[in-house]
Amino acid sequence: MSEYLLEVNNLTKKFPIKGGILGREVGAVYAVNDVSFKIKKGETLGLVGESGCGKTTLGRSLLRLIEPTSGEVFFNGVDITKLDADQMREMRRKMQIIFQDPYASLNPRMTVGGILAEPMEIHGLFKDKEERRKRLLQLLDQVQLPADALNKYPHEFSGGQRQRICIARALAVEPEFIVCDEPVSALDVSVQAQVVNLMMDLQKDLGLTFLFIAHDLKVVEYISNRVAVMYLGNMVEVAESHELYGGARHPYTKALFSAIPNPNPNVTHDRIILEGDIPSPMNPPSGCHFHPRCWNATDECRGSYPPVTEESLTHAYRCYNPNQVSK
Amino acid sequence: MAEKILEIKDLCVEFNTDRGRIRAVNGVNLEVFKGKTLGVVGESGSGKSVTALSVMRLIPSPPGKIARGTIDYRGENLLDIPFDEMRRIRGNKIAMIFQEPMTSLNPVFTVGNQIEEVLELHQTELSKEQRREKAIEMLRLVGIPSPDKRITEYPHQLSGGMRQRVMIAMSLACEPDILIADEPTTALDVTIQAQILELMNKLQKELGMGIIMITHDLGVVAETCDDVAVMYCGQIVERAEVKELFNHPQHPYTKGLIESIPSFDSTTGERKDRLPTIEGMVPSLFDLPDGCNFQDRCDFATDKCRGSEGEPVLKSIGTNHDAACFHPLS
Repeated sequence: MSEYLLEVNNLTKKFPIKGGILGREVGAVYAVNDVSFKIKKGETLGLVGESGCGKTTLGRSLLRLIEPTSGEVFFNGVDITKLDADQMREMRRKMQIIFQDPYASLNPRMTVGGILAEPMEIHGLFKDKEERRKRLLQLLDQVQLPADALNKYPHEFSGGQRQRICIARALAVEPEFIVCDEPVSALDVSVQAQVVNLMMDLQKDLGLTFLFIAHDLKVVEYISNRVAVMYLGNMVEVAESHELYGGARHPYTKALFSAIPNPNPNVTHDRIILEGDIPSPMNPPSGCHFHPRCWNATDECRGSYPPVTEESLTHAYRCYNPNQVSK
Repeated sequence: MAEKILEIKDLCVEFNTDRGRIRAVNGVNLEVFKGKTLGVVGESGSGKSVTALSVMRLIPSPPGKIARGTIDYRGENLLDIPFDEMRRIRGNKIAMIFQEPMTSLNPVFTVGNQIEEVLELHQTELSKEQRREKAIEMLRLVGIPSPDKRITEYPHQLSGGMRQRVMIAMSLACEPDILIADEPTTALDVTIQAQILELMNKLQKELGMGIIMITHDLGVVAETCDDVAVMYCGQIVERAEVKELFNHPQHPYTKGLIESIPSFDSTTGERKDRLPTIEGMVPSLFDLPDGCNFQDRCDFATDKCRGSEGEPVLKSIGTNHDAACFHPLS
């Protein structure tokens, strides 16, 4: 078996735009466009980008919660885009997801015990009553919640505790891979740190593999081994997280990381302020989608989308002028 | 020393709820100076927004009530003046930007209408044409391209960053003395956040207004503020000049907040093993402990903190540096 748990090749998700009286397709949004990447076993790949760049669509396409339009997703060597519904359900036991909003993603009418037992029921795990109870308590212990939480309802918990319940639910079926879609974005700073620590501990103890989606670049950089940057549906750069701050090749990555406010008033750093907004994905610019906001853009950039350049095993980018990144 | 334009003294705001009365803001003292930015940081429910709304006299009453205190704006106590008078000040002398640019604009009026409305209310001497001109000028000032076209558009036609610019244009139309910005960039992406903060900074230099910047993001504080007040459970637990606060935090809560931001040592590429955290959670306002509100989460808590000598009060512990703690870190 290869060292990669997940291998994604040329994944594309197109949303048609219908218009006119007949509801014909008048255009399309490529929410995810020709994206390829791999995630090693036990690794965390961070996924960052501005709102609307396709992070969430990509995360959900991997689990086929959104059906990809084309491309391949190999999980443990199996192309899951070819599986039928029953086989896919079986496969989802190994692939779970944690959502952003811990208030909306827990059923308020179910007890925590019921919430955690549901995925086990669906997948027919821990059928023996005593065994299941043991497993539930073990899960609560893993996410550091007290055992009496089992009979409580979600509204009795704070945001941070609810997110722990969501994590426990994802762990209930003993997955190998978890898509974490902005799991700490809704939490306060001090609680956010607790949940980030918990996730890193769980990863170490259970050998989990994460795709960690977030718009908070500091958290992503902290938790991830490698980080992928998306812009308008395309993956523009992938690099080891410590390389991104100083060694980024793509001008968008540079701009994105320089925009983070630095919580240290003693240093002033040069900031690249991008002009304008993200262009509309319905009508993306020609060539490299970033060229209207890029200060190095040439005619080549306006002509065609840059191919992937693999600088090393861990660092790849899509840019024609990767070395002139200062502004 | 810059001119002091706003002074909040001993402000207490209470809310009546089904579960009893809570004190959302408890004895807050703050000062705002001309041309300076005061940061107010804290977690959700710490009383930041309620403090800001009190200055605007926008606390919904009932259930809310300003129980005590004064808000002194250029020699006038805003809490004593009649409602009509307050209307003249609100939006004109003291303006506010809200967090949600999506819900704070009226979807059925063009952005031009909405900026002109502010001028119509407060600058009655302007003619209709002058108002339109001023509105276009304001949109240009906040960096919206082709403002003469944008002015006829509706909020849904603008992106989040653009809408927040419109909000800023609206709040600055009357060239206020004080701008209260309640989480102005929280709903925006970092690249747009950088644009907006830069814009506010530039406008502050041009117009010389005092800003109250309410945020939970210490990065934003470090980059934009001159002075910072840290709030916890409705009280100010520490207040200092921005560099002093980050370099020498005195209250364990402030220190915990600063440390729990993920940082990355980009020179070595080494990652810290674990993020330092503040254990536990913010106590409920219905059930605050005796003594210091932070005692259950504090490593240094003693009997003194648990109420044997009452609540810690905010007192000076250095040059322009106050903390409400029995055991300041120093």
